Amino acid sequence: MIELNKITKKFTLHNQGKTNILVFNNLNLKINPGEIVALTGPSGVGKSSILKMIYGNYVFQSGQIKINNHNIDHTYPRNIIELRKNIIGYVSQFLRVIPRVPTIEIVMEPLLEINSDKDEVREKAEKILLKLNIDKNLWNLSPLTFSGGEQQRVNVARGLIRNYPCLLLDEPTASLDSVNKDIVLNLINEKKDSGSSIIGIFHDEYSRKYLNAREIDITKISDAK
Amino acid sequence: MQPILSVHNLNKYYGNQVGCKNMNLTLYPGEVVGVVGESGSGKTTFINSISGNLIPDSGKILIETGNETIDFLEISESLKRLLIRTELAFVHQNPRDGLRLDVSAGGNISERLMSIGQRNYGNIRQTIFKWLDKVEIDKSRVDDFPRTFSGGMLQRLQIAKNLVTSPKIIFMDEPTGGLDVSVQAKILDLLRKLVRELNLSVVIVSHDLAVIRLLADKIIVMKNGEAVESGLCDQVLDDPQHSYTQLLVSSVLQV
Repeated sequence: MIELNKITKKFTLHNQGKTNILVFNNLNLKINPGEIVALTGPSGVGKSSILKMIYGNYVFQSGQIKINNHNIDHTYPRNIIELRKNIIGYVSQFLRVIPRVPTIEIVMEPLLEINSDKDEVREKAEKILLKLNIDKNLWNLSPLTFSGGEQQRVNVARGLIRNYPCLLLDEPTASLDSVNKDIVLNLINEKKDSGSSIIGIFHDEYSRKYLNAREIDITKISDAK
Repeated sequence: MQPILSVHNLNKYYGNQVGCKNMNLTLYPGEVVGVVGESGSGKTTFINSISGNLIPDSGKILIETGNETIDFLEISESLKRLLIRTELAFVHQNPRDGLRLDVSAGGNISERLMSIGQRNYGNIRQTIFKWLDKVEIDKSRVDDFPRTFSGGMLQRLQIAKNLVTSPKIIFMDEPTGGLDVSVQAKILDLLRKLVRELNLSVVIVSHDLAVIRLLADKIIVMKNGEAVESGLCDQVLDDPQHSYTQLLVSSVLQV
């Protein structure tokens, strides 16, 4: 379960005339287990910012964020690190990896955090890469030279290889063709059916409908915009 | 869980000049803490002061060994030496500072093993080969002198030399500093794997935010000898709160 209570978020740009940008005021949101919430609203309204606050990348000035009853509290970074290891998964929009590391190892990594049986983990990674139509010949190459769609599927494989109780998805299907899009959406539905609380940004109506997502227009749940 | 290393209010002056002041750090097992800042900001003074290379003027350094908490600045010199050879390791920016160049690669790796009392030649030799393999140096180079190695190989050898006794806390000062980017990627990959496989706890100094982003869980941003901001690495880099950190992050060139 993901809960945001009365969140205020602003950016203060110290080196640009101390400009204050209020992004959210009194933002409230709740995502139940087995539910998918799709954030909507025009670009720049703060969709990604919500995911980043939940994942701990962004601080917020007041209010509370709870993940399965654990507070996101930046005075204890250790707790956020533990939450990321055990509870929250995040599929970002862009792949950020160490150059020259093979695709298969990148996909294995999150699972190796909790399972030290390398062969078993490798098998699971191969399975999900096959499912996502990543050609076998690419597995031992770094994804940095892959096409946009391939990179995105590697990112999805890495994010979905584990069963996180809470899952954050930032446009996981944005640059995929329709066949691969359906594959990714089916994977996400599987996670939902297994009881994950899922919140995401999906730019197309098709994905949101396919996932049977509860759509939330951010402009309607925060006083700021 | 207990932190394996904690530093409280550490100060180091050079005469009237501030080296670093009021520094704090908490490092948990398996965690990587990055220390960033421009040159002259006190990064190296800080890491040297907490690793036994420099003696700080004041402050407290506590190391948790599993059986007891050691007050690093209060213990005897001999116990300190033993700790530095066993539980702690220091990887220098310039591998030539951390290696003996007139001793073979294998000899460099075996030094720490022998200093903790290992004498069986066969066992030592085996451990050396295991570590050469881990850091991807060909076994056939075991008896060669480091001076015949490339920069990237030297750095990998230095890492093997330091990790062979399974230290719990590793200090690294710009470990990829002088290396070209293709070698840097390889070292970063190696470090990340070792951290996970051996559950290492690491304090790493770098001026390269991209390196820190890939390796570190937490970050300390230093300026003029003080920490201006610290916290979760992603957060400090994505949503910096202090004006200096904002300047630092926004000054990185995009590739």
